[in-house]
Amino acid sequence: MNIEQFNILSVGVGGQGVIRVTQILASAALLDNFYVRTAETHGMAQRGGSVSGYLRFGDLVDGPLIAAGFADIIMALEPLEAVRNIKYAGKKSIIFLNDKQILPLSIYQSKKIVYPEFNQILANLKKITNNVFFVKATDLAEKAGNAKTSNVIMLGVMFGTGILPLSEENLEKSILKYVPAKAKEVNKIAFKLGIEEGQKIRSELN
Amino acid sequence: MSEIPVIAQDKPGKKLIMLGNEAIARGILEAGVIVAAAYPGTPSSEIMPALAKCVPYHPELRVEWSVNEKVAFEIAHAGSMSNVRSIAVMKHVGLNVASDAFMTACYHGVRGGLVVVSADDPSQFSSQNEQDNRYYGLHAIAPVFEPSTAQEAKDMLKYAFQFSEENNSVVVFRTTTRLNHGRADVEFGDILKLNRTPEFDWDRHRWTCVPSSTRPQRTEILLRMKKMTEEADDFPFNKLTISEEKINGKRYGFIATGIAYAHMIDALNFHGIKDKVSILKLGLVNPLPQKLIKKLMTSVDELLVAEELEPIFEEQCKAFAYDWELGDKVKIHGKDFLPQQGEFKPETLITQLAKFVGLDYTPPESATLDILVPPRLPQMCPACSHRNIYWIMKQFSKKHKMKFVNNSDIGCYSLGVYKPLEMVDTMLCMGGSIGMANGFAKIMPDDILVTAFMGDSTFFHSGVAPLINAVYNKNNMLIIISDNSFTSMTGGQDNPSNGITLTKEQGTKILIEDVVKGCGVPEENIWVHEAYDMEGLKEKFEQAVNAKGVRVFIPRHMCSLQEMRLVKKNKIKLPVIKVDHDVCIGCQTCVRQFGCPAISFDYEKRKASIDQEQCRGCKTCIYICPSKAFYIVEE
Repeated sequence: MNIEQFNILSVGVGGQGVIRVTQILASAALLDNFYVRTAETHGMAQRGGSVSGYLRFGDLVDGPLIAAGFADIIMALEPLEAVRNIKYAGKKSIIFLNDKQILPLSIYQSKKIVYPEFNQILANLKKITNNVFFVKATDLAEKAGNAKTSNVIMLGVMFGTGILPLSEENLEKSILKYVPAKAKEVNKIAFKLGIEEGQKIRSELN
Repeated sequence: MSEIPVIAQDKPGKKLIMLGNEAIARGILEAGVIVAAAYPGTPSSEIMPALAKCVPYHPELRVEWSVNEKVAFEIAHAGSMSNVRSIAVMKHVGLNVASDAFMTACYHGVRGGLVVVSADDPSQFSSQNEQDNRYYGLHAIAPVFEPSTAQEAKDMLKYAFQFSEENNSVVVFRTTTRLNHGRADVEFGDILKLNRTPEFDWDRHRWTCVPSSTRPQRTEILLRMKKMTEEADDFPFNKLTISEEKINGKRYGFIATGIAYAHMIDALNFHGIKDKVSILKLGLVNPLPQKLIKKLMTSVDELLVAEELEPIFEEQCKAFAYDWELGDKVKIHGKDFLPQQGEFKPETLITQLAKFVGLDYTPPESATLDILVPPRLPQMCPACSHRNIYWIMKQFSKKHKMKFVNNSDIGCYSLGVYKPLEMVDTMLCMGGSIGMANGFAKIMPDDILVTAFMGDSTFFHSGVAPLINAVYNKNNMLIIISDNSFTSMTGGQDNPSNGITLTKEQGTKILIEDVVKGCGVPEENIWVHEAYDMEGLKEKFEQAVNAKGVRVFIPRHMCSLQEMRLVKKNKIKLPVIKVDHDVCIGCQTCVRQFGCPAISFDYEKRKASIDQEQCRGCKTCIYICPSKAFYIVEE
C-alpha cells in the first residue's frame, strides 16, 4: 500500500499501556514495509502524569511528532486525555475514547477543578470532528480476562473500523511479540473482541 | 544459554524497530567499544541497560553504572589512554558534572576512540534546564556530532570512534529527547572486531595536566581544530543539496541538524517545496563546514537556520557572511522566525516556513473548549516512602509552628514541590540540597530549621563532599537521606545502596549510615528507620530535630515500584486496606493533604475509598487518617 503518512496519537495516564500500544503499532507498520517514527513520554512525566505516544508511518515521514490538526486517529485510554490533546485533532480525525475515567489528583486541590461530564467531553471533541466514539474498552478487557488489555482492545477497535492501513496478520504478530508470554492468549482474545466492536462502529463513520 | 537478544546478534542487514537509545547501544557494540560507563539520566537512561544485554555474548565489553558522570567520563578516558575504544553516557546536565574532567581530557586527546554522549532535553520534559550542549564543542574545542534519526545515530556513533582516533579528539555525541525516546526503523551493520589489547603507554608528558604538559597541548588542540575545520566539508554525514529553483522570484536555503532537520523536511514536504530549495544538513555540528556553507550562501537569497534552542549556527553563519563579504547578497535568518525556547513543534515549522518563503497558509482551526481540563501532574507513586517522610516533616512543622528551609534535590522526591505536600523550598542540582543547606546554616536564625532532603543515588553521586563540608565547618543542619535502594526517577536503576551492578551481579552494597559515620557525623546523630513505620519515624524525626550539630536521618524502604516487581514475581500477598464508610467523616485529609494516588473521594457520598488496583498495602493511610477510618481487611 502506498500512503504518504498516517498519524496516530495514543494518549492516557502512566501505567495504562500507551507506550506499549505505540510500540505494537510501530512494529506492525515496519512489518508492512512502511517507514516508521514514534515519540514517547519516559522519565519524570510518566509518574502518574499524562502520557502520549506519537506514531507516524508512510513513505514521507521524517520527524516523530504529529503536527497540530493532523492526527488521523486519536486513541485515548482515558477520555480527559483526548481533550487535553485536542489540538492534534482536525476535521478528518477519528477519535476513540475508552470510557474509563481516571480522576486526576488535582481535583482535590481546588473546588474549581472538576472532571468534566462525558457528554461535555463528547460535545467539545465534536466541535472539531464528527467521528468521536466511546468504547467500553476496560469492560471488554475484563471480559477478555484482564483489565490491563484495554490498550489491545482499542487496537482491535481501530483495526475493526477499517481505517487502519495495517494488516491484521502483522498486528497480531506484533501484539504477541510485545506482551508478556503468559498474557499472549488473553491479548489475542482482546484483539478479537476489539475488532468486533470496531466493526460495529464502521457504519457510523462519516 | 537462552536465545541471544536481537541487539547482540551479529546479523548485518537485519531490520527492526529500535528505540533511539537502543540504536545508540547497538552503535556502541558495532564500533568495537570495550569500556562504557554512565550515570542514568533522562533521556539517556536506556542506553546502558540495552548495551548490558550484549555483555554475555560479547565478554570483551566492560560496562558499569558509575556513581556520577564525572567518574564515568574518567573511566572512559582511562580506557582511551589504554588504546581501547571507550564511551561515557549522560544527560546534558551530567556533562556539567563531568566537565572538569572533560575539558582537560580534550587537551590530552585520545588513543582509543573516546566519545561522550550528551542527551539534551529541549522542552525540559524531565530536566532542570534546557541547556544546549553543542556549546561544549566550542567551549572545549571539541568536535560535536548530532544525528537526526535512529539509523543515523547508530551509524554516526560507529563512525565517531574512527573520527576520534583519526583526529586525536574527544567526540561529543549530542542527541535530544525525541531521538532518544523515539522509535524508528534501523538496519544493523557489522560488529567490528578490533582485537586490541588494552595497553597503557606510560607517557607522562601526555597524560598529566601540569602546565608544562597542557600548555603545548593547547597549541595542538587549536591545530587539530583547524584541520577538522578544513576537512569538515567532506564529513560523510553533512549533505548539501542545491536547487536552482525560485519561489516567488527568490532562491531559499536552509541549514538544520538533528530532529529539527527531520521536522524541517516534513514541513518542506508539507508545502511541496522540498525540491525547490537548497538544504544543508549537518551531522558534524562543530566545527562547521565552511566551504559548504559558503556554497549555500552564494546559491540563495534568503537563508533560514532552523536550529532548536540556541542560535549557535546562526551566529557563526552571520560571522562567516561578514568575513566573506556576503552580507549584501544573502539575508540570514534564524531566531527571528523560530523559537529559542522549547523543542520545535511540527506546526510551528509548517507555519513559519510558509511565512519565510511567502506562501499563503492558514493552519487548521482549533476548537475553543468550554470546559477546563484538570491538570495531571506527575506525582509520587502509591506507597512511596518519600511521601511518608514529607508528611512527618510537614506535621511537625505545623504542630510546633517551626519554619523549615527544606532544600530538596534531584530525584522522585522533587515531586514534593507540588500540592498537596508543597514541602520543597529549594532545588538546584545533584547534591545541591546539602550544599545550599550549608549556606542557610551559616545565616538562618535558630528558630528556623535548615534541612536537606535527598535520595540514596543522589547521595552517592554528590552528597558526600557537602556533608563533609557541613561537619568540618560546623554548619548545623538536619539531613534526610530517603533511602529506597534504587535510582528511581530514571527508571529504577541499581546503585551502591542495593549493591547490584549494571550487569546484575552482586557488587558491594554500601550502607549510607557507614558513609555518614565515616564523614565524621557522630553515631548519636544518625537515625535509621523503616519508612513505613510512621509512629517510629515520627519519634526518630523529633529526636533528630531536637539534637544539635549535623544530624542525618535515614528513612529506608525499597522503592515501591521495584517492590511490586518482587511481589508479582514471588506471588506475595499484599495487605488489603479499605475505608470504613461508617467511620469516614469526609474530612478529605487523605486526598487533600496526603495525596496517595490510590485514594479517591466521592463528593456525593462524601466518603473516601481505595482503588485496590493501585493500592500497594503500605498502610500509611491508616496512620494519617484523623478519624481512623482506614482498616486492614486481610494481612
